[in-house]
Amino acid sequence: MTSITTAATVESPLAPVQATGWRGGLGNLVRKELGQWWATRLWWVQTLIWVLLLNGVATVVMLEGAGMPSEEVVTEAVNTFLQMGAITIGIGVVLTIQGAVVGEKELGTAAWVMSKPASRASFVLAKLIANSVGFLATALLIPSLIFVVQAQFMLPVSLDYGQFALAVGVVALSVLFYVVLTIGLGCMFKGRGPVAGLGIGLVLVGQFFKGMLPLPLVMATPWLLGDVAASYALDSPPEFNRMIPIIVTAAVAVVLVCLGIWRFHREEF
Amino acid sequence: MQTKVVQNQSDPAAPPHPVPEPVIHTVGLTKTFGQVSALEGIDLTVPRNSIVGFLGPNGAGKTTAIKLLLGLSRPTSGKATLFGMDSVQDSLAIRSRVGYLAQDPRFYTHMTARETLEFTARFFYQGPAAAIRARIDETLELVGLADKADRPTKGFSGGERQRLGIAQAQINYPDLLILDEPAAALDPVGRRDVLDVMERLRAYTTIFYSTHILDDVERVSDYVAILDHGRMVASSSTAELLDGDSTTYELTIRGDEQATLRALRTHPWVSDIRSVSQNGSTALTISVTDERAAESGLLRSVIATDDIVVTAFGRRHFNLEDVFLQLVKGQGE
Repeated sequence: MTSITTAATVESPLAPVQATGWRGGLGNLVRKELGQWWATRLWWVQTLIWVLLLNGVATVVMLEGAGMPSEEVVTEAVNTFLQMGAITIGIGVVLTIQGAVVGEKELGTAAWVMSKPASRASFVLAKLIANSVGFLATALLIPSLIFVVQAQFMLPVSLDYGQFALAVGVVALSVLFYVVLTIGLGCMFKGRGPVAGLGIGLVLVGQFFKGMLPLPLVMATPWLLGDVAASYALDSPPEFNRMIPIIVTAAVAVVLVCLGIWRFHREEF
Repeated sequence: MQTKVVQNQSDPAAPPHPVPEPVIHTVGLTKTFGQVSALEGIDLTVPRNSIVGFLGPNGAGKTTAIKLLLGLSRPTSGKATLFGMDSVQDSLAIRSRVGYLAQDPRFYTHMTARETLEFTARFFYQGPAAAIRARIDETLELVGLADKADRPTKGFSGGERQRLGIAQAQINYPDLLILDEPAAALDPVGRRDVLDVMERLRAYTTIFYSTHILDDVERVSDYVAILDHGRMVASSSTAELLDGDSTTYELTIRGDEQATLRALRTHPWVSDIRSVSQNGSTALTISVTDERAAESGLLRSVIATDDIVVTAFGRRHFNLEDVFLQLVKGQGE
């Protein structure tokens, strides 16, 4: 170790960070979380997985429907892409970020960050923001753009791009819900088991049981968002009010964000 | 054995070493986990620009106390103020003026040492990237990690992580450095370097650190606080603590031991004498009840005894290990 410099001896061009309150450290934490997506191999690994899965299956559906009526092929391909996206991206989100909060609590990095002038809300919000951006871009936006190109060349009838964009927006809400759920559960539990179990359980229970449960109950879940998205893309309104699952999911997500932040505020390191 | 250690202060208005603007001040700071009491009513005052060693055996509650100061944990009762601000309500403002090294520092393994320091610095500073880089380079140099700056911290040894921990703790020129076992994972050279850094920082910052290494405390600390089983058993300046016990004297003689003992026992203020003879010398430990009388009469009466040569005389002095063991053992009994 060598000579030492201190604040008292340095004329520094650096200014103190001004953000205080709940925004304390938010910019720095978001930058760090985004770095974990875009400065590592995570972004291209995720992109590869979702393109192979979603666009791969969509390609198979389009090829298999070569002898079918045009409308049926389009319906099948769009339904498969959107419904599968809503389900599998949900599972992927839970599997990928189940340790985002819990892992940091276990490893001690959360305590380290919280010893700096960063608010607990910033810690949680940074994870929500960066993981939402990461998944929306790699698991939804890129595969959706590729799907549009695929549809252009492989489907006999062209898509209504406006309606398809609306449908992708609905799936995006589903993705956001599972990001919020996973981060929120991470704030509430100390181990990865409950986070992964409850997160994946919620996705799978919805797929297996949504047909058996009363419609009003199912409408108050994110389970119908795949159907809602497909109905927008194909311009075929379902039997239920499409706005209800959208509003309920968005509201529950907001509540989960608040609960997660509240719980993380009470965390003792 | 008695020491001049100031025992646990129950009256916050009367700190052991009154200082106008303490950096840390706790009153009755208590933390319980369920039925387990980790800290019991800690009263602690840390003066500005001092180095305070926070001692205690494993499980004494040192890390718990540090986490309460940083707002990483909430007190069950009592209060801690840093720079006059409440550790719970004003935690963010406090943390902007504090540098902290955890007992087992952990960092994001995908980041290099340089990236870790940049991430840390960005919590405190905004400004040109070149200025941040300059600050980081200077800090890496300070802790001897310049040649490992661009290696991911994943491959760092315990000692390297500790050095990086010290670097990130002082990157913001903190007004208060809180170090939890700063030298624990370091080799002797690294340990010496850490103590050097602490001594040089003394003029600019206050350092509150926990440690098991008593020699280090004796070397650099102005004040010592000793914790045992969640209770503060001593809080005093290091000098006071080691200054010696004015009621116990040590005397080494050659010659007639019995005559010396007879001479000493004539004094009513001599309460106890213990002697150990070895190689023709006798070491006497003499306890007295009247310090003033002993100062003037004890040595004189021994010298007046025939055929006695006094080879050493003085107040009994302690090292920190004596004091620590006595206090901790005393609490345990």
